[in-house]
Amino acid sequence: MANDKEIIDNIANKEYEFGFVTDIEMDVAPAGLNEETIRYISARKNEPEWLLEWRLKGLQAFGRQKLPAWQNFEMPPIDFQKISYYAAPKSKKKYDSLDQVDPELLATFEKLGIPLNEQKALAGVAVDVVFDSVSVATTYKEKLKELGIIFCSFGEAVREHPELVKKYVGSVVPYSDNIFAALNAAAFSDGSFVYIPKGVRCPMELSTYFRINTENTGQFERTLIIADEGSYVSYLEGCTAPMRDENQLHAAVVELIAMENAEIKYSTVQNWYPGDKDGNGGIYNFVTKRGICKGANSKISWTQVETGSAITWKYPSVILQGDNSTGEFYSVAVTKNKQIADTGTKMHHIGRNTRSRIISKGISAGQGQNSYRGLVQMGSKADNARNFTQCDSLLIGDRCGAHTFPYIESKNNSATVEHEATTSKIGEDQIFYLNQRGIDSEKAVALIINGYAKEVLNQLPMEFAVEAQKLLSITLEGSVG
Amino acid sequence: MLIIKNLHAEVEGKQILKGLNLTVNAGEVHAIMGPNGAGKSSLASVLAGRENYEVTEGEVWFEGKNLLEMAPEDRAREGVFLAFQYPVEIPGVSNINFLKTAIGEIRAYRNLPPLDAKAFLQLSKEKQKLVEFDAKLVNRSLNEGFSGGEKKRNEIFQLAMLEPLLSILDETDSGLDIDALRIVSKGVNKLRSPKNAFLIITHYQRLLEYIVPDFVHVLYDGRIVKSGTKELALELEEKGYDWLKEKEEVGTN
Amino acid sequence: MSLIQEPAIPLYDAVVKGYHTLSTAGADTEGVRRARQSAFDQWRLLGFPSIKNEDWKYTNITRYLKDEFALDGLVAGGGPVAAVAAPAGLVKKATIPGLDAFQVVLVNGVWDGKVHGASPKGELPKGIELLKVSQVLNDPAFAGYFGNGKWGNQHFAYLNTALFTDGLFIRVKDGAVIEKPLHVVHVFTADRNLLIQPRHVWVAGRNAEASVIESIVGGEGDVKLWVNSLMEIFAQTDSKLDHVVLQTAGTGVRLVQHTTVRQQKQSLYNNYTFTLPGAELVRNDLQARLEEDHTETHLYGLYLTAGGQLVDNHTLVDHQKPNCYSNELYKGVLLEKSTGVFNGKVYVHQDAQKTNAFQQNNNLVISKQATIDSKPELEIYADDVKCSHGSTVGQFSEEALFYLRARGIGEDTAKALLINAFAFDVTEKLRNEAVEHFVNELISQHIPSQTQA
Repeated sequence: MANDKEIIDNIANKEYEFGFVTDIEMDVAPAGLNEETIRYISARKNEPEWLLEWRLKGLQAFGRQKLPAWQNFEMPPIDFQKISYYAAPKSKKKYDSLDQVDPELLATFEKLGIPLNEQKALAGVAVDVVFDSVSVATTYKEKLKELGIIFCSFGEAVREHPELVKKYVGSVVPYSDNIFAALNAAAFSDGSFVYIPKGVRCPMELSTYFRINTENTGQFERTLIIADEGSYVSYLEGCTAPMRDENQLHAAVVELIAMENAEIKYSTVQNWYPGDKDGNGGIYNFVTKRGICKGANSKISWTQVETGSAITWKYPSVILQGDNSTGEFYSVAVTKNKQIADTGTKMHHIGRNTRSRIISKGISAGQGQNSYRGLVQMGSKADNARNFTQCDSLLIGDRCGAHTFPYIESKNNSATVEHEATTSKIGEDQIFYLNQRGIDSEKAVALIINGYAKEVLNQLPMEFAVEAQKLLSITLEGSVG
Repeated sequence: MLIIKNLHAEVEGKQILKGLNLTVNAGEVHAIMGPNGAGKSSLASVLAGRENYEVTEGEVWFEGKNLLEMAPEDRAREGVFLAFQYPVEIPGVSNINFLKTAIGEIRAYRNLPPLDAKAFLQLSKEKQKLVEFDAKLVNRSLNEGFSGGEKKRNEIFQLAMLEPLLSILDETDSGLDIDALRIVSKGVNKLRSPKNAFLIITHYQRLLEYIVPDFVHVLYDGRIVKSGTKELALELEEKGYDWLKEKEEVGTN
Repeated sequence: MSLIQEPAIPLYDAVVKGYHTLSTAGADTEGVRRARQSAFDQWRLLGFPSIKNEDWKYTNITRYLKDEFALDGLVAGGGPVAAVAAPAGLVKKATIPGLDAFQVVLVNGVWDGKVHGASPKGELPKGIELLKVSQVLNDPAFAGYFGNGKWGNQHFAYLNTALFTDGLFIRVKDGAVIEKPLHVVHVFTADRNLLIQPRHVWVAGRNAEASVIESIVGGEGDVKLWVNSLMEIFAQTDSKLDHVVLQTAGTGVRLVQHTTVRQQKQSLYNNYTFTLPGAELVRNDLQARLEEDHTETHLYGLYLTAGGQLVDNHTLVDHQKPNCYSNELYKGVLLEKSTGVFNGKVYVHQDAQKTNAFQQNNNLVISKQATIDSKPELEIYADDVKCSHGSTVGQFSEEALFYLRARGIGEDTAKALLINAFAFDVTEKLRNEAVEHFVNELISQHIPSQTQA
């Protein structure tokens, strides 16, 4: 077998492949968070008065909130006043087609491997690209329009569909929910908006790539997806950020609303800059994602592959309000070097016969710390509600950590909760077996990891699954314990 | 003993039994055969009173009493015994304590004095011998860690202990090797008497070589479509069930 | 917690006022006095825990702190608390039929020096030594057992350290194998609301072997007794200790019980904690600190809760060194309006390679009004480990219930059988038959409808 130390060093030294800076003129707000900044952002975006007021409430809530203290890692101090809260490419025109998009921008996407090209378009992916903060290109819009599907930037939705935005924004994640949600409410830049009308099955995967580019700008998108009665939508979110020495804050909010018999599938592949091997730089990924199964028989499914960011802190959750509704959470999180991932989900069972399923696979390498933190709550009216949770942790190397913190709360005697968790080292005998069959250790690890994560990867739409698989292999190249 | 009239039942909204008629008298052994999904096991469940089965139409009379109105335990106390296709494992409940409890409750229901410990033990030993049941298994937790064959033999041991009037054997032969099948059948044959009756549900004719039935019924699509003697079982074995399907289709056309 | 809010709690006031009197009245040596002072200072900073403390998230003690309590030591006039005669009824309640054991009775943490059942001459076998903590506390030869001043975020451990009165010191000498178990009966009784703070130290010497059964009784009347007990167990190299705790106190008792076990090389420690209906608040903090390699630890627990009871079991298995094995099984049966809390943590340090740690918590929620909060935790910093945990919350298996009913067993009896079966996984682990039988009887008594068998 290969020399352990050598291989671990190799993985520790592996540089981030997507670190480069795009040279586009940016329109950047002065650093600092105060009423003036908020008014500046709102004015720049020509927002209506009600939205400005809502932002200001968010700002007030932010002032009242404290950083959480329950995490099992040292929380680095964040100077919210040093962050610039608005950055938009200077070109102010909206693009009608990809040809009009700044070639440098397209080249960036090319380097990232973002499939914003004809091939991908032919594959049926409509992509709403958020470049730092403003949506710059949207494809396939017309086709979706025919079905009555609204898929646009958040800013556009505010202009074109204010009644929908006003009704639903903050209805799942209120501005006072937590400090980062408050920050987002106050300073959110842009994001995506989706509305699927009654009975419509969205014929293609909707996709957005987020990318943080400008130095010292926080990225605060807001995504709002509403699936009306009997509709279906699958939404993909991919994230990459170039290399920066300063930590950058990402505090997004995602709200999902599923009406009766509706289904929303939300998939994320997060590959933001994780910092270097000494833990310098990297993204702080503090995201609030929550969906509500409002109507009976509705379903919300979260799938995430998290390989990036210096610190990831997110708990995509589902409020199971409608009877017979279903919530799912499938997650693969990889940490190496000094990365920290603290992720999991919350399943709030309120309605009768509600179901939830949680599958979490953590992989820790180097000095990475990986925590599953989850809540399963059975309300007093959640008769016959069921939950099943499986959390597995895999350790590669003797300086990493894997932690499991499930919270189970039941106030209903007909509810059933099952939680299982295991932690173990990557199987040396498995690696050896594969070696013996002529497969080198690196490939063996990739094979084992992909097998280990398969249950989650299977949940991803096909093109995404292939990318995610590659990403896992690249991330953990050479990591044999 | 048992009269089933026009029995209709459904499970989770799906109609399973569609007008089943059957009469079983004391001393008789009836075999119910049929393809998978015909409703064989559903019939057993309905008779035993499994909750998720809803009887939508029809009647079931057992010893002159309306069986469908009774709770599962009362049916058992009246003398209906179901040998489960998949007996549950209940860790922590010892086989013997479980049987003691069951006999205690059944006797109380029938206004019989409780069986003292000695008499119970004697009965248990006697029946163990009768059905060739391993004494070691008696003291273990109910079915916990039992092999498939051991579980089925435990069902027959319980049958022997509880001395029911009507025993329903739900696919007792499934998953049994030939030796276990022989032992189980031998036990059943020893327990046959002019006072009791058996309803044997099976997919294969094999079991009926060991337990010879007085009547054979073919259950298809929720109804008994053909009845006969043991020769019918052989015919089924030879021809399979497909010819029934054709006949049924012709019949309905 | 800020000092400004605390005076709203009468007990806080009483402790602050009483501390000076008590700390100067006793004959404590300088070392002990300093330890008390430091713990008191720490406690003043921490105060009583609230639900904002992660470790008390599900256990809100505010309503139990509304009553006024006198301090046991103050009532005794500041000097050592004298032994009080134990009410015979309570001792009887704790008696385990058929148990062949030595028995000692402590009233409010104070031992009268008598050993029962040590026939023929009333002597203990060679190799076991029982002393009052008040006797050895200031003896320099015992200093090593009372020096621990670091209690992390354990509010009640600081409070106990500042003001504990007395307790039982047990030492099993090196190589001694004590065949008969020792039965320690803790009786709590008073004619007024009282804060009672016993402190116990047990030592199992090298290669020693013993079995101790503790029974906790008392609090049958209207008087409220707040018992804040702290125990430190030293399991030395190659020792084996079997430790059974039967918590059967009445509704007048609010019990906070901290037990820290420090295990040395190749030692074996088994703990079996049973909490039965009665005491309105029970909070157990059981911490096994595996300070050396190749240790083995088994923690078994059963909580059967009823009435408005709040029973909280916090356990910590702290794997500090390699090649240790730990296994934990806690089961809960929740009746009536009771609340059960389980929080079990397995912590594996970076050095603790080859750790095997397993943890399981299963809960059977019988009543519609009962609540269960379960939080099993794994925190792992070593890679060559096998760790797992599981937690379930649920009802009876419908299939099992139907099977029993199909054999003629009535629904209530069937349910009682299934509850007993559920508890059996824990009770069968008991090594002493008389104790096992006694515990099973206790469980049966509290199951809504009893089995006829």
